[in-house]
Amino acid sequence: MSETETVVFVVDDDQDIRVSLSRALRMRGYTVEAYDSAQAFLEAYDESRIGCLVLDYGLPGMSGLELQAHINRAGFPLPIIFITGHGGVPESVQAMKGGAVDFLEKPFRQSVLAERIETACRMAVEMTAAAGRRRDIDSRFDRLTAREREIVDFMVGHPGEVTSKEIGRTLDISPRTVDHHRARILEKLELRSVVELIDLAKGLPRGA
Amino acid sequence: MPAPRDEIGTVKTSLGTILAIGLAGLQLVAVLLVVFTSYVTSERALIGHARDLLSDVGTNTIEHSKGFLQPAHGAAELAANLAQNDVVASDNPPLLEQLFFQQLQLSPQFSGIFYGGRDGEFVYVMRSEEPGPYRTKFVAPDGDPQPTRLIWRDEGFSVVAEKTDPDDPFDPRTRPWYMRASAEKGTIWTDPYIFYSSKQPGITLASPVFGSDGEIQGVMGVDIEISDISEFLSRLRVGSTGKALIIHRNGDVIAHPDQRFIRTPEADGTMRFAKIWELDDPIARTAFSPLYRQGALDTPRELSSQFTYDGGTYVSVVKPIISEQLPWTIAVYAPEDDFTAAIKKNRYNNIWIAITVAAITGVIGLLMANYIYRPVRAFAVRSALISQGELDPSEPAPKTFKELERANATLMQQIAARKQTEFEYGQSFDRATRPIAHLAPETGAFLRANPKFCDLTGYSAEELSQMRLADLTGDGAADPFAHLETGSDEDYAISREARWRRKGSRRIWVKVNAFIVRDESGQALYVVAMVDDVTESIAKERQIQQLSRDLSHLARGHMMGQMASGLAHELNQPLAAIAQNADAARLAADRAGATDEELRTILSEIEEQSLRAGDIIRALRSFVKKDTAERTVINLPELVEQARRLVLPEATEAGVEIVIDVAGQTDVWGNRTQIAQVIVNLLRNAVEALTQSGATDRQVVVAVGRDGDSVKVSVTDNGPGITPGLTLFSEFETTKPDGMGLGLSICRSIVEANGGRLWFDETHRPGARFCFNLPARGAGTTTKGTEAA
Repeated sequence: MSETETVVFVVDDDQDIRVSLSRALRMRGYTVEAYDSAQAFLEAYDESRIGCLVLDYGLPGMSGLELQAHINRAGFPLPIIFITGHGGVPESVQAMKGGAVDFLEKPFRQSVLAERIETACRMAVEMTAAAGRRRDIDSRFDRLTAREREIVDFMVGHPGEVTSKEIGRTLDISPRTVDHHRARILEKLELRSVVELIDLAKGLPRGA
Repeated sequence: MPAPRDEIGTVKTSLGTILAIGLAGLQLVAVLLVVFTSYVTSERALIGHARDLLSDVGTNTIEHSKGFLQPAHGAAELAANLAQNDVVASDNPPLLEQLFFQQLQLSPQFSGIFYGGRDGEFVYVMRSEEPGPYRTKFVAPDGDPQPTRLIWRDEGFSVVAEKTDPDDPFDPRTRPWYMRASAEKGTIWTDPYIFYSSKQPGITLASPVFGSDGEIQGVMGVDIEISDISEFLSRLRVGSTGKALIIHRNGDVIAHPDQRFIRTPEADGTMRFAKIWELDDPIARTAFSPLYRQGALDTPRELSSQFTYDGGTYVSVVKPIISEQLPWTIAVYAPEDDFTAAIKKNRYNNIWIAITVAAITGVIGLLMANYIYRPVRAFAVRSALISQGELDPSEPAPKTFKELERANATLMQQIAARKQTEFEYGQSFDRATRPIAHLAPETGAFLRANPKFCDLTGYSAEELSQMRLADLTGDGAADPFAHLETGSDEDYAISREARWRRKGSRRIWVKVNAFIVRDESGQALYVVAMVDDVTESIAKERQIQQLSRDLSHLARGHMMGQMASGLAHELNQPLAAIAQNADAARLAADRAGATDEELRTILSEIEEQSLRAGDIIRALRSFVKKDTAERTVINLPELVEQARRLVLPEATEAGVEIVIDVAGQTDVWGNRTQIAQVIVNLLRNAVEALTQSGATDRQVVVAVGRDGDSVKVSVTDNGPGITPGLTLFSEFETTKPDGMGLGLSICRSIVEANGGRLWFDETHRPGARFCFNLPARGAGTTTKGTEAA
């Protein structure tokens, strides 16, 4: 049982399922919030909250898959466990492609769901942490000037051509200037080497 | 062309045959007949002639015998009269001797004359040889001791020699001639016998001599040798080898050309005549001894007969007896060949000549027949060629008989008229816009086919002429029009659909209208069959029927799947709730510190059983879920039209008009049967909705049109519309009294499975409009790799 304060969000249009599922999960010690539709969930959801989503596949209105797509687009750190009364391989394939933790057909063993929730919560914590790190790196990159960012992009895009001479010829500036920029970049980003720089930059969207 | 019938109905025999038989055969028969009859009649005439000849021989012999014996009669009677009238005293032997001598000299046939007296005296003068030509025998009367004297004299009555024989026991009164003559008191003839002294055959004529007292004084007799008759017979020519003989009533053969045969020795050394059955002439024996035994020889009439001996055929004639005194039968026989041999020989020559003549004339007759028949045959051939169209009637006819030329002229006119008719008919036949063929009624063989028919079947007219109807139908039925033969007038025509095999084995459906053309006598000439190709309409019909079957099959499958799917969902929810609640209850029990292990077990069981129920439902679903959807290019307007046909009965009953409105290129990609079901379902829904409306102008419009990469189909009715608030497309919800609420739900899942969408167009008012779209063919989008159940 995780000590981190995590929330299990349950979205299912079936009242009985919502009630029984919430109750069973609470009995297992989870903090549970239940919603009867995707819209209701999205209205209430706060990105800062760490947790996972137990999502009914066959929702009226915005379907489970549509909600999954929305979450992926928004980049919420919210692992999804699908539950469905219909079942079926094609649906599960689509759900898993969308990054779902699992796809459980109703009725399912509560212990299995609990395991999946555990996994999902761990993922959620990691995702939140990663998000925090990314925010930190982003803020460091924000310190770079336009020219410095240009040089970083080049070095990350061409890991085999990282001498100052090559960079200077490409960007039409003197190698000395390049050397100067590189020193400032490492300093601003609080890095010790270009290798560290490339590793870090990989975690960022290209051209950001 | 009508089947050729017997051209000359009644005259079956060829003219050539008649001529050959008439000219050759008949005269052969005639010649042979003449030869045969002439042979038969000539042979008969000859045999008749032979009999006449034999009869003449017999008559001749009779006359000769009579002539030979007649003088003896006279002489004997004369002598008797002389003696009786005492002209010559009977008791004066020398005088008697003198008289007898003179008589002998006068009558050469007499061999002796004698007189026997009642007292036993006897005078006998007879011809002799040695020592003189005449010999006289005197026997003295009773009481006279003088011995028997024998005196030989010469022609001049002079004694040549004398002799006595004292031992001679001769007594005239014991001799048969004496006894018979004295008993009968008249002249008698003895039966011929062999004379005692001369050993010659002879006959004795005896006449009694009466005294003045009227008593018989003695008997005067004459011996006549009848060997002369035999000699006469031997001189007779009877045919070339025939013989005449004289048979006495008692069977003695008394005269025969060969005198040796008639004598046969007795045991006592005397001689007697041979009987006919003893005769050493086997032919005569064969011919006459049976007749003798039958008594046929003693006949008052002439008797002719025929007999065979040793392989030869003989004719014989038996004359009636000469007289009662001479009960002799003249029998004559001769080999038939003596008279007919030449004829017989001639007969073979005649037959050979007849055969040769017949053969020669027969050949000549045949040649003549051929000569006469040749122009007739040429005429017949020419007529046949003209009637078959292989010869132009205007071609000059060969030289022939006048009669034939006239017949030819008439025939040519007929042919010309017929050709004209045929040409006119042929024109309409060949130019008919429908396929037409003529067939033989019995065999179904093609007699004629027009170009349209050839186009239809794919065979050329020439190929068809070698074929029968069964070759097209492929069912081997020999007589497809057999039932037309027997029926009444109405049954002469048929109309039916059939499946034919075109050249190249493609099957076509045809509608055949056929009727039989008959001649005046009702004989079936040929069958006219008019044919229409109905392959396309039949194929369409079948396609629609198939679609209907597929639809009902699919509908059942879908219904099951949809029901299972819906039930699964509906059941899985409560099952899931049960499982969760069981889990929660177990945890609650833990928390409450309950130690009842059984409660835990019960709660676990509840969870397990709900899970098990879920497994069962899954198994059921996977069982009914079948993915048989094969996708093809669908011509959507065509499919809509077929769907309309399927719904038409209900629509017509409800008074609903279904209008189809097509725009643009509308081929889509999907499962044909499934899409058809969607269209049919939407149409049915629309029709049912209109059934409930009070509107009179009930109409459903199906619009098909291109919409970007897809083709959109909308089904719009002008009915009452959809009740607001009704959840469409969800299972088990329906407004229909007997519906299950699966229709639209199924339709939606079908359309989605085919890569399209189905929705209800709320903007259309009044009425209702349901739309679906499907990926257009060649729209660039490939079908998705997954599809819904």
